[in-house]
Amino acid sequence: MSSTNISSRERVLNLFNGRTIDRVPCFSGMGNITTAGLKSLNYKFATVHLDAKKMADAAATTHKYFGFECGVVPFDLCVEAEALGCEINVYAHSEDILYPTIRKKVIHNEDEMELSIPENLHEKGRIPLVGEAIRLLKDDIGNSVAIGSYVLGPFTLAGQIMELNDLLKLSFKKPDRVGRLLDILTEVIIIVAKEYEKAGVDYITVREMGATSDVLSPRVFKSLILPYLKKIFERISVPSVIHICGKTNDIAPFMVESGARAISVDQKNDVAETRKKLGKDALIFGNYDPYNVLVAGTPEIVREAIKRCIDDGVSAVWPGCDIWPTVPEDNFRAMMDIIQEYRR
Amino acid sequence: MVTEEKKGEILERLKKAVIEYDEDAAKDAAKEALEVGVDAAEAIFNGLVKGMEEVGRLFEAQEYFVPELLMCADALYAGLDILKPHMKKLDLGVNGSVVIGTVEGDVHDIGKNIVKMMFDVAGFTVYDLGRDVPLDKFVEEQLRTDSDLVCLSAMMTTTMVGMKTVIDKLKAKNPNVKIMIGGAPVSQDIAEKWGADGYAKDASNALKDAINMISSLRKMRDEAEAKKASK
Repeated sequence: MSSTNISSRERVLNLFNGRTIDRVPCFSGMGNITTAGLKSLNYKFATVHLDAKKMADAAATTHKYFGFECGVVPFDLCVEAEALGCEINVYAHSEDILYPTIRKKVIHNEDEMELSIPENLHEKGRIPLVGEAIRLLKDDIGNSVAIGSYVLGPFTLAGQIMELNDLLKLSFKKPDRVGRLLDILTEVIIIVAKEYEKAGVDYITVREMGATSDVLSPRVFKSLILPYLKKIFERISVPSVIHICGKTNDIAPFMVESGARAISVDQKNDVAETRKKLGKDALIFGNYDPYNVLVAGTPEIVREAIKRCIDDGVSAVWPGCDIWPTVPEDNFRAMMDIIQEYRR
Repeated sequence: MVTEEKKGEILERLKKAVIEYDEDAAKDAAKEALEVGVDAAEAIFNGLVKGMEEVGRLFEAQEYFVPELLMCADALYAGLDILKPHMKKLDLGVNGSVVIGTVEGDVHDIGKNIVKMMFDVAGFTVYDLGRDVPLDKFVEEQLRTDSDLVCLSAMMTTTMVGMKTVIDKLKAKNPNVKIMIGGAPVSQDIAEKWGADGYAKDASNALKDAINMISSLRKMRDEAEAKKASK
């Protein structure tokens, strides 16, 4: 089979499976819908989080419009927290693009950290809705591209369900107590990931940006966070990615040690150095700046940034965070074009 | 009258309490400072703030991370709460008030609170709008309080673009207001592009920037008045 004929889906799956591929794919494990896509569907941003069909439709547009090599749902970071009883705000009043946030947390004091997992968690909140969206998305574009979803990492999820301020201080003062909460949340995350697997996702990203080295020391990352990440990746059956933004050079080896198939880093990571440190076989996804390059840049700036990622040795060209929806169409196309042309 | 030696010892204890995030030690040293007659402003600036400066250095050197920073801030406030009521109005050459908040869509307020702390220390009147603040609220509050300075914070790329909207609206209503933006995804480049007057990479820069901005604002006013007078 000629390599140019393989589908994006095969390319991505081959990459995860360690096979040789013709070029680096250009995809993401995080949200990537665009206002161009939303406009074509006539959907308001605030509505796509609450309706499986709208969610799937919106997620498919980035591939249909620009040839982006994946489809990913959901788009917000509140699914697990909501299933645990937090109240979310989707900013229904707003015409602007505002991602849902947690309005009411479930842990208000130290005692409430002894959380019990709701029965039938997999039926709570929007977990079934995201599962349904995965199925619809798979029916729609699943033959052409890999379908992904994401869950939060345990520390980041803890920061959603209790005051981050308290969590951070306790992670220093009472790491055992925080550890117990992370252990419970690890179970939660596994339950959610299993639902998404059942719905048919091809890969799952675990987003643990709360544990970035901008916030937590690499030492605390290793002692407090890493053991739970290992537990999670042991249980995820499909190809997996660990994503952490901000400073990650010092913890990149721990990210690999977590057992994730690939690591995802943002523009603050020196990928050339990370590549040297981790060796040629490690899957490193990254690391263009989704706002300053893709939205605020020009097609020329985009091309240069993407070349730089490839030169530095990324295994996949992949954004440092969610793609900001207002990305200019010319910039997106410039990225997809340079991927075809440029080789390291 | 307190001896220089005793004063030095108390200032050192205040500094150390902040660095070692020891709230009780900060309280004890602050109380003793007042008892023996150390000037409250001096205790704040040459004790607590000195400690916070060292914390800033440790943070930069990646010896301290955010959890430590938060605990140091708690220790600083523990001392500040005791000392501040006894502080004579500071003559920093500025007499500012500031509206501060995290923009709508963003519920992270740790960075904002650190910056706020520096304004509290410097004797600013702080109107803290909290987090997830609707954009128009910043404009309303600035008009209501006639503050010299508005500080906007965003922790995430996905929310920082709201800051541009606020800057445009504020400048349209009141071209003289100074605007400072900060947060992890913000850069000098973005601050310039969006027309912000200042950009705070971190809390220690924020205070310096804030004082510079207010000074330049006063200068502008003085110049305008001098012009009026010469006519």
